[in-house]
Amino acid sequence: MKWILLVTVLTAANSVSAQEADTVEDYSMYGEAELAGGAKRFCTSKVFDLSPNKLISVGYDFQSGYQVDLGAVGNVAPQGINNQNNYGLRIAANAPVISKTNVLLNLGATYWENFYSFGNGAAHPLAQSLQAYGLRTMGINFTLFKPFNEVNFLIVNGSADLNGNYSFENFQSLNTAKISATAIYGWKKHDRLQYGFGLARTYRIGELNYLPVFLYNYTFPSRKWGVEALFPARANLRRTYNSRTLAFFGYELEGNSYLMRNRGNEFATGINNLELRRSELRIRFTFERSIKDFLWFSLQAGLRYNMRFNVDDKEFFRGFGDQPYLFENTLTNALYVNFSVNLVSP
Amino acid sequence: MKKLFLLNIIVFATTLAFSQAESDAILGVWETGSGKARVKIDKVGEKFFGKVVWLREPLNEEGKPKVDKNNPDEKLRTVPLLGYKLLKDFSFAGEKTWEEGTIYDPENGSTYSCTIKMTDENTLDVRGFIGVSLFGRTDVWKRVQLKKK
Repeated sequence: MKWILLVTVLTAANSVSAQEADTVEDYSMYGEAELAGGAKRFCTSKVFDLSPNKLISVGYDFQSGYQVDLGAVGNVAPQGINNQNNYGLRIAANAPVISKTNVLLNLGATYWENFYSFGNGAAHPLAQSLQAYGLRTMGINFTLFKPFNEVNFLIVNGSADLNGNYSFENFQSLNTAKISATAIYGWKKHDRLQYGFGLARTYRIGELNYLPVFLYNYTFPSRKWGVEALFPARANLRRTYNSRTLAFFGYELEGNSYLMRNRGNEFATGINNLELRRSELRIRFTFERSIKDFLWFSLQAGLRYNMRFNVDDKEFFRGFGDQPYLFENTLTNALYVNFSVNLVSP
Repeated sequence: MKKLFLLNIIVFATTLAFSQAESDAILGVWETGSGKARVKIDKVGEKFFGKVVWLREPLNEEGKPKVDKNNPDEKLRTVPLLGYKLLKDFSFAGEKTWEEGTIYDPENGSTYSCTIKMTDENTLDVRGFIGVSLFGRTDVWKRVQLKKK
């Protein structure tokens, strides 16, 4: 019985002593240290307060009505018609498959759809096709972040997208996938600033081109404001209310080239496999907030400014050349909203 | 019979000692992947905990010691980050792995499920995740050697 009492007293004394040691611990000794085994330090892929990476995103995109002027093609006369609205799901998934200090690799997949509502007046074959089948984009992508030291890094991003007027029952050939890629060499100057320069093979202007890109992520010393930009694709001024509430004002250049098959003989015989060159500038406000823990919502509203909605008779690389389109179309601008629910990354 | 009993005791004690040594291999001071903090991992009972013992930037923009300002619990937002327990309740699961713990990220005030795997004696793969391990991020921590004064 006596030894039980002794053990209890000693344990209690030890506990009190440990607690006291904890409260008066001298932390200065931990500053004088070096990495064991000569390990190397690397910069991380983010700066302070950068908006969280979305692992899963399920969203809905809606554009208000606008006027569409479709050009003449063959024997088809031009047509001016009102599109009552555009709408469609936008789903994306993104998972970090390698997540090390010296290399990060994310794999992702996207599914976007865009449907049109011309009503009963659609006479032009493009309007008929868009109304019947809409446009879909389905793709896979990867992003590699490779730091070389505490300052320099490389980002390589690639994607393969199937774009067109296909449906799940009437799929288009995988050979028609559009390949995009970006490579950026960057510097992380400190925890609030990173920038880099690179080159992109992109369809954001509606058709394939090669453009210089500039990455710039900066958080102001107050930590209330920041800039998240990848010119020319997107740029946002960020307001950080707290770590779970963010607002943005900026733009995104969205675009792709869509294979338009003559699925229902909307076009004349012999006209098939056209390429719709679609590009639009979205100037918008975005508000993002954590609903609970890692579940966030994002509400975006702004102006959709049409950059290009022209049609080529086949896929080819125009670059900065001036080859004529098969027919050209103009769209007036429209207001749009986008709402999404997102699971964000740790 | 007596010898056999003694042999069993010795084998059991040796196994226990090796197991103890393996589970305690995580003890020590570690630097996070970003190099912004160092965390000291201690053992309390059979569980492992880690607290912040060094910050590269210990002061906030007002020149005062950083506090846990992003904590979802308002009452805890004045707690200093130095000394903060980031890692909690890890159990040794064998094969150089510590599981069933949580990690707290003061950058956003979120707590994640966490598994720690020792890839070599000076390296920890610290994986914070949401629900399933696939939806997570691994941070590689390096062991720190304190300079003798």
